[in-house]
Amino acid sequence: MDAREQPAEEISSGVIAPDTALAVRSEMETSISPHEGPKARPLSTPLQESLRMLRRDSRAVASIAIILLFICVSLVGPSIYRHIGMPYKSTATNRIVAPEVYHTFDHQEQDRLDEGASAQYWLGTDALGRDLFARLMQGMLISLLVAFIVELVDIVFGVTIGMLAGYYGGWIDQCLARFTDIMFAFPGVLFVILLTGIFGSWADDHLDGIPIIGPNGNARLVLVSLGLAFTIWPLMARYVRGQTLQLKQQQFIEAARAAGTNDLHIILQHLLPNLFSIVIIASTLNISNVIIGEASISLLGLGVRPPGSSIGLMISDGTAVVTVYPWETFLPSIVLALIVLSFSFLGDSLRDAFDPRTKVS
Amino acid sequence: MLRFLVKKMLGLFFVILGVTFITFIMGYFAPSDPIRDLMGDKFNYAIWFRMRHDYGLDLPWYQQYFNYLFNLLHFNLGTSYHFQNRAVWDILKDGVPISTELVFWGFLLQLALGIPLGIISALRYRSWVDTLNMTAMLTIYALPSFVLSVFAQMLVLQLNKVTGIQWPVSQWGTPWQYDWTDLQYKIVPILVFGAAGFAYFARLTRTSLLEVLGQDYVRTARAKGLFERVVVYRHAFRNALIPLVTVIGLSLGLLVAGSFFIEQIFNIPGIASITINSIFQRDYPVIQATTVLIAVGVVFGNLVSDILYAVVDPRIRVE
Repeated sequence: MDAREQPAEEISSGVIAPDTALAVRSEMETSISPHEGPKARPLSTPLQESLRMLRRDSRAVASIAIILLFICVSLVGPSIYRHIGMPYKSTATNRIVAPEVYHTFDHQEQDRLDEGASAQYWLGTDALGRDLFARLMQGMLISLLVAFIVELVDIVFGVTIGMLAGYYGGWIDQCLARFTDIMFAFPGVLFVILLTGIFGSWADDHLDGIPIIGPNGNARLVLVSLGLAFTIWPLMARYVRGQTLQLKQQQFIEAARAAGTNDLHIILQHLLPNLFSIVIIASTLNISNVIIGEASISLLGLGVRPPGSSIGLMISDGTAVVTVYPWETFLPSIVLALIVLSFSFLGDSLRDAFDPRTKVS
Repeated sequence: MLRFLVKKMLGLFFVILGVTFITFIMGYFAPSDPIRDLMGDKFNYAIWFRMRHDYGLDLPWYQQYFNYLFNLLHFNLGTSYHFQNRAVWDILKDGVPISTELVFWGFLLQLALGIPLGIISALRYRSWVDTLNMTAMLTIYALPSFVLSVFAQMLVLQLNKVTGIQWPVSQWGTPWQYDWTDLQYKIVPILVFGAAGFAYFARLTRTSLLEVLGQDYVRTARAKGLFERVVVYRHAFRNALIPLVTVIGLSLGLLVAGSFFIEQIFNIPGIASITINSIFQRDYPVIQATTVLIAVGVVFGNLVSDILYAVVDPRIRVE
């Protein structure tokens, strides 16, 4: 059906003979196929082809499953977990504590320090008597939230500027190149360390009004996210620029330009859709770095601050008692490892599925 | 070649200017007044005014930046806020040999592990050895270095429990000395450092060697009837090293940044812990100094790798 409709549309938009001939041939193929039996496959778009390849890749499927599981648990988990369990009489305060209280990530139960897993505390408690499972869910939420914000900024800035630099060249390109050189001189999270080190206490006082990433000692996450995005986007811009330069040489862009299409239309209709795969691959591979970045900043004590929770903060809390209770360090480490590995494996598989060069071999 | 060098030097100059400016301007816009913080409750306007003048904080920004650059050119990283009259270098200098030692041995280990594993993988392309190797590499490459450090630490602690030895898992020995007690402190962090980065070089070696092995001159060498050993090591491997040479310079900065977290977990008194401490003391000049030192190191690393690239691969110079 698609193939039948396309030629009419193409003719109306003024594309000349060779293209229509091609479309007619494909129409013939599809119309013949029912008679050839089940062997012939309907024509599929490159996107469908890539998705099929991805579905066949068991590593990618497993990664997606783990990522979805983590997202669900961190979003829905806390509100369910809060209603599970019996009220409990605390011996330290002589008060009855409901699960709504002791199953939150910042409640400290003075007489339940460093416990192992139990029915009341599913994954045990830490050195301050806080529920490890609740803290872990909050930490995962923070990790994913930071990853989301950073990727959003990264994609918006990276794609816009990379595309403009690739398409127009000139001074935009020069500025981008210089700026990239400068930002690449700050390796890893060094820039974020500098940023949070200097502006951290200011953020604590002034940014705690922002919902979700503001209160509970999370105020510095704004700085961390912006800092990470600021260091990461030049790389995305570079990828996009490279791809744009390549696309610009191709005939369909030339044809569009010859047909009198204006730049805005070419950029939005012809360039942007073709950047899809490289942006998806780059941002998925980036997410691992972003999550590691946030965790390491919090590990150094420059990111999330108590009573808030972050995976990095949990690891750093745990290392203080690692000789006696290794579990408290091991648990957040293994969760972080799982998240990061899922995203890198997924990114790797996406590259295999979407990159036409690897598809050929 | 001369034109190439001049162009690179100009770029280097520009980048260093940008890097120092970013570092400087962040300290300049620091929200809290460091002198006021330092004086705490005993605030005295006259002393505050004089100290601001001594630190040059009453000057306009461009003059402060000029002074900052001028001092940097004379290898003067500034004066600490927290410890008055103490130069920043004086605070950092105890940590520098420790951090460089960690990075040096860790980096050597990364190369010593990574390159052979990459070669093995490339020579057995698409066999089970290659698949296993590459999956393991991807796993190790994706794991953050501090998670590896934590795992290593816990492993050593378990071994201590089982065997009854007291193998240390924190602190560092005397830098660049290798008695048995010093080695005990150093071996585990260096091993972790090696493990954290070797996967990168293994993957790179594999890709680059595979690409070279597909070239025509390798086929010619094989067709001549040369031994496979000669083909691989004399014809292919030497050319496969070219991208590695460039990456070594580029990865220098990441190495130093990666050592931050290993130092933190193993409680090693290197520049990382000094910097982190000074962050909590709001000693901005120390943070700025570390950042500038590392960034300038990265920039020079890039320059060296660019030059090396042009030396080993003459095709680059033409462009």
